[in-house]
Amino acid sequence: MSESSMTRPHAAAAHHTSLGVDNRKLGVWAFIGSETLFFATLITTYFVFAPVNRMRPDFQDPRKFLDIELTTVLASILLASSLTMVLALSASKRGDRRWFATWLLATVGLGLAFIGGQVYEFNHLYHEGLTLSSSLFGTTFFVLTGFHGTHVAIGVIWLLAVFFKVRAYPDSPENAMDVEIAGLYWHFVDLVWVAIFVLVYLI
Amino acid sequence: MAGHHEDQGAHAHGEHGHSDRFYWLVAGVLAVVTALEVGLFIVNEQHLIAKWLEVTLLLILSTIKGAAVVMYFMHLKGDAGVFKFVFLVPLAFATTLLLSFMALFSEHVGIAG
Amino acid sequence: MAIAERTAGTVSPPSVSVRPGWAGWLSTTDHKRIGIMYLVSAFVFFLIGGIEALLMRIQLGVPDNTFLTPDVYNQMFTMHGTTMIFLGLMPLNVGLGNYMVPLMIGARDMAFPRLNALSVWLFIFGGLMLYVSFFVGGAPNVGWFAYAPLTQKQFAPTSGVDYWIIGIGLTGVASIAGALNFIVTILNMRAPGMTLNRMPLFVWMQLIVAFILIFAFPVLTVATIQLLFDRHFGTRFFLPNLGGDAVLWQHLFWFFGHPEVYILILPTMGIISEVLPTFSRKPIFGYAFVAYSGVAIGFLGFLVWAHHMFAVGLGPLANAFFGAASFLIAVPTGVKIFNWLATMWQGSLHLTTAMLYAISFIGMFVIGGISGITLASPPINVQQTDSYYVVAHMHYVLFGGAIQGIFAGIFYWFPKMTGRMLDERLGKWQFWLMLISFNLTFFPMHLSGNEGMPRRIYTYEADMGWNLWNLMSTIGSLLLAVAFLIFLWNVLTSIRRGPIAPADPWDGATLEWAVSSPPPVYNFAVTPRVRSRRPLWDEKYPHLHEVNGSHEAPVARKGLLRDGFERETPEAMEPIHLPSPTYAPLIVSVGIMILGFGIIYLGDFGLIAASAMLVGLLIMAAGILSWVRISHVDSPHHAHHGI
Repeated sequence: MSESSMTRPHAAAAHHTSLGVDNRKLGVWAFIGSETLFFATLITTYFVFAPVNRMRPDFQDPRKFLDIELTTVLASILLASSLTMVLALSASKRGDRRWFATWLLATVGLGLAFIGGQVYEFNHLYHEGLTLSSSLFGTTFFVLTGFHGTHVAIGVIWLLAVFFKVRAYPDSPENAMDVEIAGLYWHFVDLVWVAIFVLVYLI
Repeated sequence: MAGHHEDQGAHAHGEHGHSDRFYWLVAGVLAVVTALEVGLFIVNEQHLIAKWLEVTLLLILSTIKGAAVVMYFMHLKGDAGVFKFVFLVPLAFATTLLLSFMALFSEHVGIAG
Repeated sequence: MAIAERTAGTVSPPSVSVRPGWAGWLSTTDHKRIGIMYLVSAFVFFLIGGIEALLMRIQLGVPDNTFLTPDVYNQMFTMHGTTMIFLGLMPLNVGLGNYMVPLMIGARDMAFPRLNALSVWLFIFGGLMLYVSFFVGGAPNVGWFAYAPLTQKQFAPTSGVDYWIIGIGLTGVASIAGALNFIVTILNMRAPGMTLNRMPLFVWMQLIVAFILIFAFPVLTVATIQLLFDRHFGTRFFLPNLGGDAVLWQHLFWFFGHPEVYILILPTMGIISEVLPTFSRKPIFGYAFVAYSGVAIGFLGFLVWAHHMFAVGLGPLANAFFGAASFLIAVPTGVKIFNWLATMWQGSLHLTTAMLYAISFIGMFVIGGISGITLASPPINVQQTDSYYVVAHMHYVLFGGAIQGIFAGIFYWFPKMTGRMLDERLGKWQFWLMLISFNLTFFPMHLSGNEGMPRRIYTYEADMGWNLWNLMSTIGSLLLAVAFLIFLWNVLTSIRRGPIAPADPWDGATLEWAVSSPPPVYNFAVTPRVRSRRPLWDEKYPHLHEVNGSHEAPVARKGLLRDGFERETPEAMEPIHLPSPTYAPLIVSVGIMILGFGIIYLGDFGLIAASAMLVGLLIMAAGILSWVRISHVDSPHHAHHGI
């Protein structure tokens, strides 16, 4: 039901709160709620301009530019990183340092692979003639996906910081919570990509 | 829906009673759904089904994916109610934002044309 | 007075040493000091915004005046609006909340003390950055709502708009961080027995505002980022000649901008709901209605943004929807007003300065509310839009409402915050002068507006028929300045020579009056236990508790926040953990500010700006490292594994 029902007795005593949940976890969930509106606004802008883009003389067709194979690989990378993240959390909670390190670093690696893929994609699109100023599609696409990429990069830094902080005692209550909230943010970034993947690349 | 516990996972359940095997299962479902999405996209480049139907199916499949990530990877299912509140309320606002702007701009394409 | 005795009982001093002098303020993580930092810096910005208003009023006092050039006039109204909203009213409310909310819910600090310090520094630096623009080519001159495409590079070539974007951005980050802090503090740090349904209404309103903030501000953030990209990086979001959409800016801005109005007014409604019962010697009438109508206002506030845009021509369907939704907000607002009136009804009124401001709040806010209802009707709105009628409306709401509410709060809580009483005689002089001159300033604007005087004109011709109204407004504004000088004098003298304030000078009902004035750094020696909505009154007047208290037995409701409402902990003298002082939040804020300067000049001076951004990021990183270290040392688990 709640944090205080966790198995470690000293955690329960120190963690008394009105709702019985951890302060930082609640803060991160509320932050994720706020970020939801951040990305919703970017996606909304994309959709408002999609029909306008089609009517313009400098129209650039998303379907001609976006490469579905590359995107599928990127989407799979992020989904896989969510799996490794949750496995890292699970390992940290049972105090399994080796698997914790393996899964967390795998998450970082997959995050870096995603960023690399996005850099490749942006570079490719740029050479095809899609830029911030080439069309409304360029304007909205790069700002939306660019901000998502920035979030992935911040997530990678966050995960690395957590790794170096907690690797010695990944199962102490404070450290397990460090892993959990970094993970929440990471899954959220993945969630945004689930939305961008279908709304921008597939529809 | 919860998977059974592996030995080393047994003492770590607390609020999240899922085993590693369960997470692999969720990931498998996510992979299958993604494959379905991409498959639908590629197949329907021949316009086998109407565009609106394709879009609807894609949105349903993505919602399944998103829900799986939120409920199982982020453990929102079964976690404290306050987390659902601070995530689902803004999600509702965000959806309202998107839909209302699309409605407001549906007959309004600026001076593009 | 068991709570007062128990909570103020002898306690071994906490292990935290407060650094002396300026260092203590620069490194503080104490919510009370941070609250004072918010209040003082916001008041300074507020005075600057007032001076800008005075300059405009002097310019408009007589027709064909040449006191200000048109461009300077444009800068003045932009900076006045931006300053009052983002650097004046919002942080004044946040400051009062920062100081009072933990005390009122029986907590020792905010949930994230270091994040709290980061918020106040980012707010201060954001405000300073906005004002730097005066010295590097001119302040923004596009209005506080910065309508596109006037904000684009070819129409606003100075970097004023860029400073506006980054300044607002920093205060926005500060606001979101602060709001997250309030949400977690209020939901999760309440003393045992302080259920949501027993929280003081000021706390309720701060909670609602915090939620509005985290939902509304990201939209503004995205819109301003898109504007920044338009100005510097070749995008075309708001450039109509390239397919962009100026109306999209308006929609995004007001999707944030209308909830922002409630961000400004709801906390002051909370203040009123504390002050009126205290000085009427009666419990608030209809507690639940006051609380839940606040929720309703907050929710409806997200559905009415386009009533700022009726003149755009959104079509009959959209106009009808947004007009009707705007009318609907009058319902919960009216509920609150009648609850306040009923609270005073047959009360034993003590007309202190705080009470006078609270009563005057109701009157002036109702006037502003009624002109607001006229503006919610699309056909009337089209007549009134962009006229001085709108200026009159918003000042009745935000000055007659929010500012008077904040003054009620300041006169009410000043003794708690400083340990000294404000001079009531000067306070009443200030009140009456302010009430009269406020109406003298802003009431004629209804009339000049109805006679067609547009907003944001730097001068007008003598034969327009607006001369008298403008002269009245100008005289009124000069008198308002005198009222503020009286207040300043009152604060500066009272803080040194005012009568010493007892712990409970007003015979209050809420927990902040249970501790000394000013409160000790740890707030409560022993966490208080709360058994009703008015813990202090119930202890001071137990017979009233018999009369009033019975229907307040906690009801187990089925709902989202069910878990842990009534969780009780064993009473124990636990050691007091207070966060250590640290410079980390200050360092991180400096880094973010340098990053912001870099972003402003990235488009024009790529290499230098990029280096500045790198420096900013490095400073940020250093700050975060020190932050992580100190938070680890402070962590309650630190002792358990000895690292």
